This record gives sequence, structure tokens and C-alpha cells, in this order.
Amino acid sequence: MRNFILMISYLKQLYKYRQLLWILTQREIKVRYKQTTLGILWAVLQPLSLMLIFTLVFSYFTKINSEGIPYPIFSYVALLPWTFFQTAVQFGSMSVVNNSGLVTKVWFPREILPLSSLLAALVDFLISATLLIGLMIYYHTPITLYIFWLLLLVPLQMIITAGVNLLLAALVVIFRDLKFVIPLGLQLLFYATPIIYSINIIPDRFFKLVLANPLTGLVDSYRKILLQGQPPNFYYLSSSAIAGVMLIIAGYWFYKRVDKKFADII
Amino acid sequence: MKVIEFQNVSKHYLKQRLRYGLLSESISRLFTVHHSPIANHNLIRALDNVSFSVNKGETLGVIGPNGAGKSTILKLISKVTIPDSGKISAIGRIGALIELGAGLHPELTGRENIFLYGAILGMKKTEVETKFDEIVAFAEIEEFLDMPIKRYSSGMYARLGFAVAVQMEPDILLIDEVLAVGDEQFQKKCFAKMNQIKNSGKTIVFVSHNLDWIKKLCSRTIFLRSGKIQFDGPPSQTVNHYLKTA
Repeated sequence: MRNFILMISYLKQLYKYRQLLWILTQREIKVRYKQTTLGILWAVLQPLSLMLIFTLVFSYFTKINSEGIPYPIFSYVALLPWTFFQTAVQFGSMSVVNNSGLVTKVWFPREILPLSSLLAALVDFLISATLLIGLMIYYHTPITLYIFWLLLLVPLQMIITAGVNLLLAALVVIFRDLKFVIPLGLQLLFYATPIIYSINIIPDRFFKLVLANPLTGLVDSYRKILLQGQPPNFYYLSSSAIAGVMLIIAGYWFYKRVDKKFADII
Repeated sequence: MKVIEFQNVSKHYLKQRLRYGLLSESISRLFTVHHSPIANHNLIRALDNVSFSVNKGETLGVIGPNGAGKSTILKLISKVTIPDSGKISAIGRIGALIELGAGLHPELTGRENIFLYGAILGMKKTEVETKFDEIVAFAEIEEFLDMPIKRYSSGMYARLGFAVAVQMEPDILLIDEVLAVGDEQFQKKCFAKMNQIKNSGKTIVFVSHNLDWIKKLCSRTIFLRSGKIQFDGPPSQTVNHYLKTA
């Protein structure tokens, strides 16, 4: 109960500082693309180039079962939430360490730092999603009412990522070694998530393991509602949602337990 | 009315960063607010059982040799760090000028930084907008507003930092030896501004080695050495005390 009241007071404080969250998000976007020639186009180019190379490998060099969906759009729809997760974690996990100048000199709710990385990644996500619409038109993918599931999927994607971000951002302050572990972990997670392959080709004995990854249910749901005109698989999506809620509660709790000491450790 | 109060506050720093051994051990260390003292020789007592309070409208000067714990006091008031033991309370919006350019971001323009700093103080965008012109005029950076501040001269940087912090009208203003930069004319302007803030009934905590300013500006001054308050009284007496022991 005490923890609950404390949590509410943190959230109130965070709400009071929403202006700072917004400004730091803008700053992150600006600084990231500043002095690059292509600017915000990079948001699209990253998933697009991955899609092209995977299409070449898994559709021409070798054939992978994509359930009758053209491989470019099959992979792109999954690369969107993945790229969001990856960008947010890549920048968010380093956000406290990279802003040590702010953290050691001024006070503000510290969770704003990883959360602004999350929001900046969301902007990239929305921009790169426009290309998906183009692809869907090109491949004559019918749009069904299931598209409204997006209202649940996008927030879930943010909840999962926010949890991971809070946890990692705090841990990186304490254990700098994680700086090297995180990119490796992201790479492993990429292959452990059904992005370049379908969830249906996973052998039974690995299935529980793959499902423990909260991104699995999320990615599969995107595919089902946008490309296959089906509702999400309830079992997959709910395990993803449960994991997401647990992650954000654990992440925020841990973060608030240690963030008062950031200025001393950093 | 007391706006700042320290009750038996202690703060140690470790001479060396602890080598974190076991993961579980270091995490549990993070969770405990009151550490059991680690080997004594490895500790620096930045503040050792310090108690004092500041009333609303007071301008408190803090003097003392390097490493006496002066900056630590400011960091504790502004909540950047927490004490190892003791209690601290500070009431009202705090504006901290702990270091030159703290809260400013080099890649952003002067204009963007003004909004960033306002937001750090917890201000709404409209509040910042009403203060915007005054800040720009005070910092004398009209022509450079849309230039990234990494291209600013150090004087411009200092002016912007000071202008933003003081014009946002915090209830408590913390200033740490940042006015040494900037030319004579700007220093005079800062001095006049601080006097004006003082006369408007706001609270200031001013850390400085400039004893002349301390005497002219402060209503009360404490002298710190090795994390302890050696003297607390009117500025001229405190300064005399400090000069005698130095």
C-alpha cells in the first residue's frame, strides 16, 4: 500500500514535468538527426534497408515460409515494432549516463530521460509506418476492422519498451559493462523474435521460450491484424501483455529506488 | 519562516569508486539509504553532522576553503544528491546555478535552451514565454538566439546561464561561484540583479570565494571547514573569522 501511494506521487510529479519530457524528446530527435544530410529520412531507411536485405536472402537465396504473404511486407510489418524497440533501448539505456551533465547538476524526475528516448523512437516509428501503408496499397492488402487493435498494440509496445528502458538505464549507471552487453542482447533478441520468420515454424520444444519474449506476441499480432485480416491470437497477445505490465512495474519501481543515487555514482 | 532546514546532515563520498563485486551485493547496497560505514580511510566527509536553517528572504553566504563541503550543501538543497544521514527540507521552486552552463545543452540554440531550462525548473511553456524577452535582453544574446550554444563564447554561455536562472524567479536561488567569468560590466549587472532579487524577498544561498561580494550581498554567512560549520553570523564577522584561520 505504501509503495502504491509512493508510485502515485511519482506519477503526479512526472505529470507536472511533462513540459520537460516533451522538450527533451524534441531535443533527442533534433540532436540525433542534426548534421546528417538525409535527416529524419533515416527513420524510414533503417527498417527499409533491413527489409530489402532480408527479402533478398529469405525470398531469393532461400525460400522461407511467410504464410503466403509477400516477404517484403511480411518482414516490414514486424521490423516496424522491432526498430522502435531497438532504437528506444539503444538510446534509452544510455540516456542517464549520456546526460550526466544534467543529472549531477540539476534535479528533475530522472525517469524523464529514458522516457524521452522512448517518445523520440515513437516519432521514428510513426514516420516509418507511412511506408507500410504504401506497401499495403502496392500489394493490395485489404484493410479490415481488426486494424483497431492498433489502439491496444501501440500502447502495449510502449509499455514493454518503457519497462525495459527504465530497468536498463538504471542498471547501466551501476554496471557500465552493460554498455557492451546491450547491443549483443538486442541482436540475440532480434533472432529470438519472429520477425524474419513466422511464429508457426518454431519447433514445439522452443515454443514456450519464444513466447516468454514479450515481443513475440506483439509482432505476431501486428502481422495478423494488418496482413492476415485476423484477430490477434489471444494466448500469444495476453502473455505479451502480462509480461509488459510486469516489466513496467518492476522497471519503474527499481528505477525510483536507485535514481536518487545517480548523481553520486555516475 | 524557515525555507531551508538541515538537521544533523552528513554526507560522505568515497575516495574511490567502489569495486562492485557480487551483483547482488552491490544492488542491495544501492537500496540501503544509510550505509554502514565503509573503511574510514576511504571516506571523505563532505558534510559532518551539519545543522542550520535559512529564513525566507535571507541571503546566506557560504565560504570556506576548497573541499569544505560548500557545493555539497547546494547539491543537497537542490535534491541532486541525498544525505547519508539527517534531514533536509527546502520549500519552493529552486533555481540552481551550480556550475556554469548546468542544464544547458550545447547542440541546441539559445532560444531552445531557454525553454529547456524553464522546463527543468518545472515551468509551463507560457510562463517561459512571458519571461523570454527579459532573459534575452539580460543575457545580451539577441543576435545569437538561433545559433547552437556550442558556438557561444564562454562569456555568452555564462550570461545565458545566469540570465535564465535569475529571470525564472525561483523562490530559492542557489549560486555557486559562477560569476567569476564574464567581464567587469556583466559582473556588475549580476551583482545588481542579485541585490534586486534579495530586496524582492527571495531567498539566496551564495557560495563564493569573493569575500567582498559576500560582505556586500549577504545578510548572514557561514564558514565551513572539513564538512563542519566553524562560524555562523554576520558576514563581516564570519569573513574575519575565516581570514584568521586561513
